[in-house]
Amino acid sequence: MTALVDPPETAPELGAAGSAAVPARRRAVRVRRPRRALGGRARTPRRPAPARAPEQVEALGSVVSTATTMIALVCLWLAAQMLLLGGIAQERSQDLLYREFRTQVAGATAPVGPVTPVGEPVALLTIPRLGVEQVVVEGTASGDLLAGPGHLRNTPLPGQAGTSVVFGRAATYGGPFGDLPQLRAGDQIQVVVGQGRATFTVLGVRRAGDPLPQPAEAGTARLTLVTAEGSGRLRAISPGEVVYVDAEAESAFPTPSGLPPTVPDPEKAMGTDPGALPLLALCLALLLALTLGVIAARQKWSAVHVWVVASPLAIALSWATTDVVMRLLPNLI
Amino acid sequence: MRNLRLIALLCAMLVLGGGLSVVGGPVAAKPAQDEKGKDGKDGQSTAVADSWSQTKEMVRRFAEADGTLYEFTNPDTGAPYQVTVSVDHTQNLRGRERVEISWTGAQPSGGRAADPYGEKGLQQEYPVVIMQCRGTPETVTPETCWTSSVAQRSMISQPASAAVWLHDLDAPAADKEKVVGVPAADKDACKQVDWNGPAYTRVTPFVAASGKVYAACDSEHMPPEAAVDSAFPPAEVTAFTDASGKGSVQFEVRSDVENESLGCNQDTACSIVVVPIVGVSCDHNVPAPTSRQSPTGSASVTGGPTATADPSGSGSPSATETVTSSPSSDPSGSPSPTEDTQPDDGNPMPLSLRGCRRGGRFLPGTSNGAGEGIDLSVGPRLWWSASNWKNRFTVPITFGPPPDACDILDSRAPTGFYGSELLAQAALQWAPAYCLNKKRFKFQHNQMPDQAGFSLMDNGGGAAALVSSAYESGSDPVGYAPTAVTGFSIGYVIDRPDNAGEYTDLRLNARLLAKLLTQSYPGSDLGRAHPGMEDNPLALMNDPEFKELNPGLSEITQEAGAALLSLSNSADVVYQLTDYIAHDRDAMAFVNGQPDPWGMVVNPSYKKVDLPRAEWPLLDTFVPQTHDTCMQANPAPYFTQLAAPVTTLRKIAEALLDAWPNVQTRCDTDVSTNPPTFKLGRKARQGYGTRFMLGVVSLGDAERFGLRSAALETKPGVYVAPTPDSLGAALKLAKQSAAVPGGDAGKKKGAGKTAPQARPTTGPVKYAPYVIDQAKVRRSAKAYPGTMVVYTAAKLANLPEEDAAKVAQFIRIATTEGQRRGSGNGQLPGGYLPITNQGVTGELFRTAQAVAGAVEKQKSAQPQEEMPSAPEVDPDHADIADVPVGAVPAAGAGETSVDAATGEAVAMPQTQAVGSDLGGRLLPLLILLGLLAGALTMVVRTVVIPRSRR
Repeated sequence: MTALVDPPETAPELGAAGSAAVPARRRAVRVRRPRRALGGRARTPRRPAPARAPEQVEALGSVVSTATTMIALVCLWLAAQMLLLGGIAQERSQDLLYREFRTQVAGATAPVGPVTPVGEPVALLTIPRLGVEQVVVEGTASGDLLAGPGHLRNTPLPGQAGTSVVFGRAATYGGPFGDLPQLRAGDQIQVVVGQGRATFTVLGVRRAGDPLPQPAEAGTARLTLVTAEGSGRLRAISPGEVVYVDAEAESAFPTPSGLPPTVPDPEKAMGTDPGALPLLALCLALLLALTLGVIAARQKWSAVHVWVVASPLAIALSWATTDVVMRLLPNLI
Repeated sequence: MRNLRLIALLCAMLVLGGGLSVVGGPVAAKPAQDEKGKDGKDGQSTAVADSWSQTKEMVRRFAEADGTLYEFTNPDTGAPYQVTVSVDHTQNLRGRERVEISWTGAQPSGGRAADPYGEKGLQQEYPVVIMQCRGTPETVTPETCWTSSVAQRSMISQPASAAVWLHDLDAPAADKEKVVGVPAADKDACKQVDWNGPAYTRVTPFVAASGKVYAACDSEHMPPEAAVDSAFPPAEVTAFTDASGKGSVQFEVRSDVENESLGCNQDTACSIVVVPIVGVSCDHNVPAPTSRQSPTGSASVTGGPTATADPSGSGSPSATETVTSSPSSDPSGSPSPTEDTQPDDGNPMPLSLRGCRRGGRFLPGTSNGAGEGIDLSVGPRLWWSASNWKNRFTVPITFGPPPDACDILDSRAPTGFYGSELLAQAALQWAPAYCLNKKRFKFQHNQMPDQAGFSLMDNGGGAAALVSSAYESGSDPVGYAPTAVTGFSIGYVIDRPDNAGEYTDLRLNARLLAKLLTQSYPGSDLGRAHPGMEDNPLALMNDPEFKELNPGLSEITQEAGAALLSLSNSADVVYQLTDYIAHDRDAMAFVNGQPDPWGMVVNPSYKKVDLPRAEWPLLDTFVPQTHDTCMQANPAPYFTQLAAPVTTLRKIAEALLDAWPNVQTRCDTDVSTNPPTFKLGRKARQGYGTRFMLGVVSLGDAERFGLRSAALETKPGVYVAPTPDSLGAALKLAKQSAAVPGGDAGKKKGAGKTAPQARPTTGPVKYAPYVIDQAKVRRSAKAYPGTMVVYTAAKLANLPEEDAAKVAQFIRIATTEGQRRGSGNGQLPGGYLPITNQGVTGELFRTAQAVAGAVEKQKSAQPQEEMPSAPEVDPDHADIADVPVGAVPAAGAGETSVDAATGEAVAMPQTQAVGSDLGGRLLPLLILLGLLAGALTMVVRTVVIPRSRR
């Protein structure tokens, strides 16, 4: 990925060097030269040709700087989108979902299960203590959780009799469940679903090794929020271990029958979605095409013109590509 | 990645399990009212002496011409035969149950038939006729005795020489007419009766329970159950007595479920009638000339007709021929019913009288496999004749309630307990003790595979399950109350060659069972074409290993000898059986492909099959090439046809009872249609005398139906048969364990995607089942490997209050009242080891009581009310040992003992660790790498490149 994203980012560096025609030639030379130089270096170190040293150093330096620039760009872009830009996108999605869900609830058309199309809003989850207000979408695959917390599809909806499970991201894309481990027993969680409003009382936070909560009484609703948390100094950005919050409501809405017995692997906790690989390949191919297009355009037009046109495209493509990359990463981070 | 996915899967399952429990969880239970159920009076468990014995004196008498009586005494004692008949149990019998009838002091039999049952047993001399009759000893008559063919009860149009009954000393004159017994209503219908001709007829009609009279003059006038090849083979038997005067037979009784015309049931008194044949006593109606014939005189001097061949018969062989031919060759014979045609040999005695005075043609102990004619006077056909009939023993028997008694007598809705068939025979007797007692609930045992029963219980579909091992449960913990100690056995019916009776001490080892289960015997030449098994012995009887263990058996190959009739569905029995094999090094070496010392190899289809397993697969798909058009038109996997497993142990038991292997290789062609049509199906019943069949049966069925059980090898060279002692010895090796057997491999329970590590069941260990380690059994010289405990498995939380009370009641009654041996309602039948407070079963008893208490006292968990008291969770320390919320005792725990409290605060499994290294390190790494690369770029740009330009 890093290598493929490379070319477009070399362009600005080249552009800085001079006019349209000359850099093209220079670039061609430069591409050839370092190869020779590298070959020579492999056989004999710097010393035997001290006269050509400055040129070689310059060529090597440009290669190194180009590569590191690319690495930095890709890494920082990814990190930035996960932590910052993704949050913006998530808020935007939440706004849209909230509007849609609000309309549905008002129109009594909000889904009540058992099978809801993936990505549809199914519940509004409010945790007053944490200041969390999120629209829960159907589905827990990594891609679904980009928009907000996701409802595990083989469990009843929150508030319905039985144990409902909701996954949420801990750090990336807004990290809606990032503060979840701060919940205490007795805290309230409010949920609005198509059937009405339910108030859950938190039973506690549960981590690996803790016993499961006592079996729920029949006719009560239980809600298990699932997210991840990290440890150590970088706790906020290293969510690696799954953590659960159990909550219970005394009364419950009826549960429709016909829940799917299981969900595919990508929708389970820390699941990844390898099905995104073809899409990723497509995105990267588009990035490559954009690169080639920029190079071709630079032959005719000035760098400023080209980049005015190409930058939005490059940003949009990078954004889309990162969204796809997210689907390949664990869903709870 | 895979690791990650597994962990994620695990977590999701955990969450899912929690979800399901709440969905399926019924209304929470309050403490049930303590109803011990002991105060109820149980149905009819009056202590009746179950066995029966009686001695009678019997003698054959001839009236001499001078009016004196000659008696044929026992040559050994010089006194009349003192016959003692005993029956091992007679009370509360069920349909098809077999009772053991034995006798001593009878006259030795001659000319034994290959098959003593029904019509085929008629050609024997001095046998013992055993029948089932309706009526008490006072009311029983030949008309109420069941026979499955006309020949067994009627003599139709017989020649004078066969009309022996005409001279019965004890018969009234009315029985000596030419035609006797045909009901007036059937006079015209009985066409075979020679009304006016020279032949004689004596009919014993059958009076059905409904009152309908069947004339029994031909097969048209017999009860429907007496049809040829009817559903049940004949039960009435003409047994033989050995040279010492002893004999025994397992007699199968039929209830009105099997034989409605006979109509024996709980309310209809029935009897088993045993008629030892000593020969018809003869009168001397025709004054015999004293000149040259004194058959009996000489015989008596030499010690009676049994000691040697009867002088009358052997002395005049030509007479026999004349006798048989005379009626047909001389149709104009005397019409007089009592005066016979005088034959030409000068013997003045009428043919019928001479027939009557015959003493037999076969020496004691000889066989009559060819079914040659016998002397009627000492044969079984005339059992109804007055002098035979008066020697009868009438054993009164009673029948237990029919299997559907509770459905009829109790209109309440039953409470189903689902699962193991091992409990079937006990449940049959237990159920009426519940449904007939209004203080108890209506217990119903629904047989199904253990796994299915458990799942049903676990999902809340059943009050309790009856299983024999631990199963993985949902979120609710499950307690296992030991309810019965029983097991399985390898039932068999094998005849010794040369009509020497049944083989009674079969010994088997694990490798032989493995050979049978893996279908490694080709069965016939069809199977021999199977690649890789060319040199294997055709069937068990040809296997040198089997012959070494069980010498002296016939080696004639039968297809049934290549199969062990077993279960097709999942069962704990199959698991235990395969576990036994899996703990035998030789057997596993064989399964894994190593030839046995005689060169036999495993069927390649089953090579390295995973053992143990709860369900035995049919893996062989070999279809033989044959010239048989029927089989060509209907190709089928041959070895699957041989094995042909069935769904219930009861079916296996009945197959053994009937000696009717489930081998499905029969292929008949009907050439009368065009194109020819084919009929596939089960092989015919095996002939008596050549039976060879093995099957997996429950010990309860084996006892009920009198099936023989093979002794299984434990230590090398030690073979243990199922007895109360060997069951108890195995129980001593049992350890309580909550581990799901086979759970580590994930194979047994069929859940392909279970957690990689064995998950414990969610029940506390003290309510867990007992596991009998086969490895220990293999080191014991006394423990029976097939020992199994049947548990009542019920939830310890979230069981509805009503159900909890019922389950607790059942466990308590079943482990106290239900463990008394007996045949009455509520008692424990044979094949089960009673669970008592003392001895080896004491621990089981106490566990059962503890589980009953825990089931009864369970309450719903109400954690949220307790929440304020729960210690708070510190969210800042991920690795802190949180005080788990789940450990908060449920409300009301304090009011009872510590025991009860732990029973309520359910021990829940731990949260599984789910994590992702990638998720944990990705972001820091990205940022670090990005910053480093950025810094490097800056360095290169600002320092290296400008300097090089300079």
